[in-house]
Amino acid sequence: MAIPFPSEAWAKALKDVLNNDAEYAQIARNWEGDFVFAIEPDGSLARPVYMYLNLWHGQCLEAMELADPAEKKAAFTLAAPLSVMVRIVQGKLDAMQAMMTRQLKVSGSMVYMMKNVPTVLKFVKCTQKVESEFPVDSGQ
Amino acid sequence: MNGCLGRLLTVDLGTGRIGEEAIAENDRRDFVGGASLAARLLYRRLTPTLDPLGPDNPLLFLTGPLTGTAGPAVGRFVVCAKSPATHLWAESNCGGFVGPEIRFTGYDGILFSGRASSPVYLWLNDGKAELRDASRLWGKDAYETQSLIKREAADSLARVACIGVAGERMIPFALILGDHGRVAGRTGMGAVMGSKNLKAVAVRGSSPVPIARAEFQAIRSRANVELRNDNVTKMARETGSAGAAEYFDLLGEMPVRYFSRSGFEGVGQVSGAAMAESILTGVSTCHACVIACGRKVTLGDGPEGKGPEYETIVGFGPNIEVDDLAAITHLGQLCDSLGLDVISMSNTIGLAYALYERGLLTNADTGGIALKWGDPKAAETLIDLTVKGEGIGEWLRRGARGLAKHFGAEEMAVQVNGLEVAYHDPRGATGMGLVYATSPRGACHNQSDYFIVEIGGAMEEIGVTMLDRASSEGKALSVSRHQWWRTLNNSLVMCVFANVPFAAARELVNAATGFDYSAEEFLRCGERGWALKRAMNNRMGLTAANDTLPKALLTPLSEGGAAGVIPDMPTMLREYYAAQGWDAATGRPTKDTLSRLALGEAARDLWGGTTP
Repeated sequence: MAIPFPSEAWAKALKDVLNNDAEYAQIARNWEGDFVFAIEPDGSLARPVYMYLNLWHGQCLEAMELADPAEKKAAFTLAAPLSVMVRIVQGKLDAMQAMMTRQLKVSGSMVYMMKNVPTVLKFVKCTQKVESEFPVDSGQ
Repeated sequence: MNGCLGRLLTVDLGTGRIGEEAIAENDRRDFVGGASLAARLLYRRLTPTLDPLGPDNPLLFLTGPLTGTAGPAVGRFVVCAKSPATHLWAESNCGGFVGPEIRFTGYDGILFSGRASSPVYLWLNDGKAELRDASRLWGKDAYETQSLIKREAADSLARVACIGVAGERMIPFALILGDHGRVAGRTGMGAVMGSKNLKAVAVRGSSPVPIARAEFQAIRSRANVELRNDNVTKMARETGSAGAAEYFDLLGEMPVRYFSRSGFEGVGQVSGAAMAESILTGVSTCHACVIACGRKVTLGDGPEGKGPEYETIVGFGPNIEVDDLAAITHLGQLCDSLGLDVISMSNTIGLAYALYERGLLTNADTGGIALKWGDPKAAETLIDLTVKGEGIGEWLRRGARGLAKHFGAEEMAVQVNGLEVAYHDPRGATGMGLVYATSPRGACHNQSDYFIVEIGGAMEEIGVTMLDRASSEGKALSVSRHQWWRTLNNSLVMCVFANVPFAAARELVNAATGFDYSAEEFLRCGERGWALKRAMNNRMGLTAANDTLPKALLTPLSEGGAAGVIPDMPTMLREYYAAQGWDAATGRPTKDTLSRLALGEAARDLWGGTTP
């Protein structure tokens, strides 16, 4: 059954995908860092949604929706309007392209990010494995 | 005032006569500035028979309409002439502070002609210019030369662009260096300076840069804020230009073992991220730049020095299979101080290692030096021999094409039209195949860094789209438009590391110049500059047969992120000539294209007859 995006349920579904993906576990075996996905209001999304994932040594330890991103001091924040984030999760917009064309804002250590490009790319691929239900006006 | 001073300082080194020339306003409008305007100004003087190292080769230092402003990453100038490496059009731009300082003296540029009878340097202090004796500077390296000139001028804020020993000895890939290791590296402009006995250009000025409209300040301020917050800027600031080394390696876009392999095991030890976590001790910037991609590093107990850029890291790293960042840094610093272009030098050294591996170059040729992959010491020895012109150095100093030819292996040289290929492999980003094959200055990655488009840097507003990086069909128009965009960058002169959108650049130029280019007109200025350089090269003998890639880049790799891929050059070139409006048989811009771009003189030269 499709899970609404963005939501806490979706974050937890992604956690399951990550924790059951052997390739991700291998590639991300040295990764230490948590993420906040900041989905900015766009279309029918009237308020920002923050999804938090704690990623550690190839596993996702924690996944939840945050009322306020300040609840967690995440190492990285990826911020984009809903329509952009949906296209990334659907695989219609390359994450690197979104980053380079300023559609996706990245904050956190670029040193760490660039050292771990395969992990980041595999993570994005895993988001595409979640059976997702997107808002009808999210530019899908 | 329209963002251009409209004045060139002219220096005849043969007679010592110093004067000035006006730059016509219609030329400034049609060609914007920088390299395109230089092509317009030098067009008639660059002839097929002109000796690049002879006194008649003009040498032009030129800025752009934004140089010296606090606009985003626009503190650059360009040096143009006929290239001793390619015998074609030469342009090489440089950051630091020299370009802005030229404009602060009240000139847009400096045009040198002739040859001095003994070593000299130009001292341009505000409006006053004089040639000074440089005999005691001859033989000095590029950093010491700067220090000595500043001391002589009693002005620590004077800015100096100079040559090292390589330029003095007219090595065809000698560079010009200024400030903290900012270089005009490619096409041998340092050799042209050396041929003129011109050791350095020192400038100091205090005049304001003209701006057409007061709104420019708000526009440039907003553009800088946007640039500072840009993801690519953050990456460049934290990790330098080699920040994406791991990613390029993953894609098979970073050459290994002289373009014969893909995937470098030691990439994590030599990348920009590795530098940030080891030897990095500071960052440096060019004039008014918010990026700060320059690296300052400290090796052991030594002094702080310049850290390597991406091309240096790959050239002296994966290219010869060295995974020692300190050794790579040392080799890069050595090339800078001697005045050698790192790309050409490391490429030629990579070729020497490959020739040695195949037994085409032996210990008898090298004077007993074993050229083994992974050995940086041998590379250091080869650099030394190159500058001295001793032993194998006699052939190394001719670049990859000359070295390969001497040893009967021309097909092994990874070069196009005499310029060594930079370290972005077109098998990992096929659009780079077209870029290298058609660049007006040989295999250059700054006439279009299309590899950035191939990994996501699309510019939909000007029709530059991201396509499958392994495919070739349907890519030529996008490559063409990106070349026109980068031609504009090289006119402004804006750094290609600055992720400034086309609309923002146009807004900046319009506010600075008052020319009020439409988007179409602005991009056409890029197309015009591109076509003029092509026409000039056609006049100097370049044909469609020159639009090729070396064998190595047309040989599929068996491993890595680009395994099995080669650029389909016949398809891409066919589409490219159509996209550019060039004649496929001759490789020349058609008469209609040149007329459409208001390049009537070039149309008459290439096709005869009369044009409007």
